[in-house]
Amino acid sequence: MSRRFWETDWFGPLMVIVVAVAVVSALNPSFLSPFNIQVLLLAIAVNAMIAFSQMIIIAIGQMNLSVGAIGGLSAIAFAGMMEVWGIPWPIAAILALALGVLAGVANGVLVALTGISAFVITLASLSVYKGVNLGITEAQPFYKIPDVVKGLGNDTFFHPLPWLIIPCVLAALLLWYLLNRLPLGRSILAVGGNEHAAELSGISVRRVVIVAHAISGLLAASAGIMLVGRLQLGQPTIGDDWLILSFAAPVIGGAILSGGHVSVAGTLLGVAIVAIFTQVLVLFNIDPFLVQVVLGVLILWAVGVNRFREVRALKHSAQVAS
Amino acid sequence: MSGTGQEQSVGIPPAEQASSARLTTLRILLSNEFGLLVLIVLFAIIFSTISPAFLSKFSLYALGRTSAVNIMIGFSMMVVIITGGLNLSVGSIGVCAAMFGGLLMQAFAMPWPLAVCGGLVMGAALGALNGFIIVRSGLHSFIITLATMSIFFGVMIFLTRAESYRDISPAFTSFGRMKLVGIISPLLLVSALAGVLLSVLFRYTALGREMLATGANERAAELSGIRVNRIITYCHLLSGVLAGVAGLMLVSRTGAAIPSMAGQLGQDWLLPAFLGPVLGGTLLTGGRVSVLGTFLGSFLVTMLTTGLLLMQVGAFWMQTYLGMLLLAAVLIDMVRRSYLTRRKLI
Repeated sequence: MSRRFWETDWFGPLMVIVVAVAVVSALNPSFLSPFNIQVLLLAIAVNAMIAFSQMIIIAIGQMNLSVGAIGGLSAIAFAGMMEVWGIPWPIAAILALALGVLAGVANGVLVALTGISAFVITLASLSVYKGVNLGITEAQPFYKIPDVVKGLGNDTFFHPLPWLIIPCVLAALLLWYLLNRLPLGRSILAVGGNEHAAELSGISVRRVVIVAHAISGLLAASAGIMLVGRLQLGQPTIGDDWLILSFAAPVIGGAILSGGHVSVAGTLLGVAIVAIFTQVLVLFNIDPFLVQVVLGVLILWAVGVNRFREVRALKHSAQVAS
Repeated sequence: MSGTGQEQSVGIPPAEQASSARLTTLRILLSNEFGLLVLIVLFAIIFSTISPAFLSKFSLYALGRTSAVNIMIGFSMMVVIITGGLNLSVGSIGVCAAMFGGLLMQAFAMPWPLAVCGGLVMGAALGALNGFIIVRSGLHSFIITLATMSIFFGVMIFLTRAESYRDISPAFTSFGRMKLVGIISPLLLVSALAGVLLSVLFRYTALGREMLATGANERAAELSGIRVNRIITYCHLLSGVLAGVAGLMLVSRTGAAIPSMAGQLGQDWLLPAFLGPVLGGTLLTGGRVSVLGTFLGSFLVTMLTTGLLLMQVGAFWMQTYLGMLLLAAVLIDMVRRSYLTRRKLI
């Protein structure tokens, strides 16, 4: 399985980033200013959590439309518990994370036990979670966020590294370790690669599906909580615009949507590409409305490249066989 | 799957032939369409006893007008689901078509029939583009339409600067506000007409049968000489047209073409788009369709929404109820299907 480094998932996206950074900083030197890097890292930290949350579900060959709804629900639960019940923020954060896990487990149990496609189940749960969010908040934000949380969401611990980058790096390392070193991670990829074969080789597919959805819920909830800190308020609309991004980054990172193949490093680079492109639109005063178009084109471009690589790999292995 | 009812009853042993009439009745009673009718009547009785305003002329009229749009959205998704695919960009296409129609009416002062045709052509073009990319890339329609949903909406917002077109031809808006016999909206008639045309398409035309065959088993369809790629593109084109009709209906009803009328990226249409076909018994894996079921399913959903709003059980919780409804629908459908399979009724 040893591959040359230019054939890895992360090589292409990394080249795009290097070229983009070189071109943009040559045209506009303020791109590499410490402040701008801090802004970029803040965006990457939150968006990486969102992307990982979808990536783990793509790994088992499913999709989770409710990523944004879980994130939004956890975010307003976090803010609401602090404002209404006066719960100290670390406990509120843990409870909000638990809520995210619970929402993920509910998705996983429904998908695993009924065998109905994850698309339909998570479309339904998306609207259930979002409805609960709106029912609780009545579309009004929670404003009373402790200063500590606001600080953690925006300040740096070592200029220009923001605090929020810590949970993001931690999540990336743990996910890499899980998917590449732990039996559970291998089971997740095996279920995504070929569910039937995984079942026959003694893997409990149901358990793996439920665990993957639980992890997805946990990551979505952390993204929601981090956003509360960054926006300095518990917005009910948190999570509404996560769907496209959550698929774009893993796909740019080389994930195969039919499952069994994802890359943590690639996904992280995918998030960075999206963040840089968005930043460029702002820096050069190009219409911010075009962000949606850029995201869509990036997805199409990435799935096209992945498809091309897949076909070439098949041809290559056919040649080797003959 | 579809239309095999008669053929299969031949395989039943002679002893059971006698009870086949009873089985046919049972099959009808257990069909989706009958179940939906029962639910519609049941909820109509419940709502009207709790809140007499439910049966008022205006309430019935508003119900018909709102359900007309939802039915159209359901149809738009249905024609893609039958090929085993999805179209996440229905909302995006609907808004783009509506905005293009609005632009033609306001900026080019076109007469409304021409502008409507322009809007529908826009819908058809975007749908066909979806189909073309899906067929050419060989990738699943989910990821392609997810990307195009973002692209279509982004380009539309960029070009319109997120501004509405309010100079809509009065003849066109009066069509959306007209009342026939006091309670029937002409929009509902448009949806009914579309339903009839779609039924004819899937039941009596070769094209419709080829669409169903492609959805049931793409490889088998290909081997039996159907141009699968062309059929899939047609389905997406049709979906675009129907989404365009739904968008233009909204323009006619509200009197303005508004970029946010289907929410961010047109996401607000996704739930109604799937609720109708799924409640109506259209198989998500493709190959089986029920136009009447989609019609009744979308109508039931609109009725539940209207009724619950009238009962003032909290408008903010509405989305939760609809999500639970979708969940309940797929679970009940699963139980019903396994019951029918066990009793050898399908």
